[in-house]
Amino acid sequence: MNLEQILVKYEFEQWLNKEAEYLDNIEFDDWFALMHSSLRYQMPVRVNKEGTERPDYSTDMFTFNDDIELLKLRLERLKTDYAWAEIPPSRTRRFVSNVMVREYAEGEKAVVKSYLLIYRSRSTDIHHDLISGERNDEFTFEDGKWKLSKRVFIVDQTTINTRNLAIFV
Amino acid sequence: MLKTEKSLDEMTREQLIHYIRETVQPEKGIIPAYLLGNPTVYDVEHEKVFLKTWVFVGHESEVPNAGDFMTRELSGYSIIITRDKEGEIHAFHNMCTHRGMKLCRADKGNKSSFTCPYHGFNFKNTGELIGVPLEKNIYGSTLDRLKMSLHKVKLESYKGLLFGTWNDEAEPLEEFLGDFKWYLDIVVGRAEMEVIGAPQRFVVNSNWKVGSDNFVGDSYHTMVTHGSIAKLGMVPNATYSKRGYQIYTENGHGLNLGTPNPDFAFPEELKDEYKNNLSEGQYEVLANLKNMIGNIFPNLSFLISHTKIKDQLISNTSIRMWRPLGFNKMEVIAWMLVEKNAPQEWKDRSRDSFILTFSPSGIFEQDDTEVFTDITEAASGPMPFHKNLTYNYTMGLHREPVEFIGPGVVFDDKFTEASQRNFYKYWLELMTK
Repeated sequence: MNLEQILVKYEFEQWLNKEAEYLDNIEFDDWFALMHSSLRYQMPVRVNKEGTERPDYSTDMFTFNDDIELLKLRLERLKTDYAWAEIPPSRTRRFVSNVMVREYAEGEKAVVKSYLLIYRSRSTDIHHDLISGERNDEFTFEDGKWKLSKRVFIVDQTTINTRNLAIFV
Repeated sequence: MLKTEKSLDEMTREQLIHYIRETVQPEKGIIPAYLLGNPTVYDVEHEKVFLKTWVFVGHESEVPNAGDFMTRELSGYSIIITRDKEGEIHAFHNMCTHRGMKLCRADKGNKSSFTCPYHGFNFKNTGELIGVPLEKNIYGSTLDRLKMSLHKVKLESYKGLLFGTWNDEAEPLEEFLGDFKWYLDIVVGRAEMEVIGAPQRFVVNSNWKVGSDNFVGDSYHTMVTHGSIAKLGMVPNATYSKRGYQIYTENGHGLNLGTPNPDFAFPEELKDEYKNNLSEGQYEVLANLKNMIGNIFPNLSFLISHTKIKDQLISNTSIRMWRPLGFNKMEVIAWMLVEKNAPQEWKDRSRDSFILTFSPSGIFEQDDTEVFTDITEAASGPMPFHKNLTYNYTMGLHREPVEFIGPGVVFDDKFTEASQRNFYKYWLELMTK
């Protein structure tokens, strides 16, 4: 890996860490500002297949399948007094690792893969939920910033061990 | 209220059933909290409810082709559902008849036979044992292959919905569904329906009955629990959920039918197909349908939801199972159904509205699970039992049923608890039989 590649990797690690910080701190407006208007935000339903047949996720059913408008609707909902699923907000801690820059065109486009582990705690509940998976992200450069234009989160469980996905992945 | 010094786990089976008979009084609107928070009640429930009734296992469209199979769970036991080369659907206990190992561990796939990972016994997708490694050498000709066929599961289909039961004496599925079929036709029989993608699966720390209770007749909570959607303009107003009918039939089945709707909630192109599949009365209900929420006893709920998303009206149809994993834990499995002959654009929008509203990330769905979890926690342990904590199910007890175009006992408003009382009435009948 040359110095340039190391710097690019560092840049996206910082981006993803910042994003995790916004989400864990419930700073949704700041988080939303990182999204590109062409966003596609997906989480396919995971399935168990025979042997090594791939992909082992559904290509036509998702747990999230949002564009920018639907994502905005979710955020607006969280601001109403009726978003019980997040009253009080979950305490989350997102651990982002194994960041790998797959494709990179300076000032244009980047494809970045990362691992994600989310710890989630609700209210006084002593149980915690763990959500683990990989993210395949695409970034578009706009107004001097990298914005997320596509995310596909491949979760590691077929039966998700959390009461809902009122949080973002 | 009956007083007892004994705790539930100290009671004999007979004492427990007697205690349930004395304390569960659906006709008076009294349901004790311990029903939701007790492992002994749960154990009895497993035997007397889940091993006796018909339980949903999947939709025919999930195994459309010859050789297709899927694994499902029927009241605590893994089963394999197959479609053979003649197109016939079978169901078997997912257990090798030699030593009991699970034959198949994939959710679904396509193959004509299953090989046991333990000793390699091979079974055809019609159940026959067709291969035993070194058979001649180690068994001679003494092995009765026919007797070693896979254990067949009693399986019946209604309009594509597959139900299984471990009860050899179970009444035919159509009889069990009875008058409820009239309404079920509108949900799953109005057109040729197919399951889209894989079902959503997630775990909620809740007693399964809270889910069934919610869908069988609780539109009252919509104003509050789902207050956000009215704020977002996805439904006209907070009391949107009140207008319509509540209906129940025999065997604990019930639904809430939202009506009227000035807009047609389904693809216009399919009007002829709907008319061909439904009676005139059923079509009239469909044409005016706002939404439909119900539960087939014990744990299969269904939903037709109609909302405005991105300024466009769209409906989505789903079925969901509250699969018990313990007295305080369930897996929710939600399937999305769509008209096979609908335009692709409509199917996609319908799918995305399902994901946005009633998947685990769904903005209606997620608030319910908070409530389900807290209710179960409050009902758990010895206190609610010793203090005789009960829930109030008296809403609408003063009301008289009305005449309706469809069968069953019908009330002309969705805010009543008649369906929930009927659910518990049948539950009690099974538990104390």
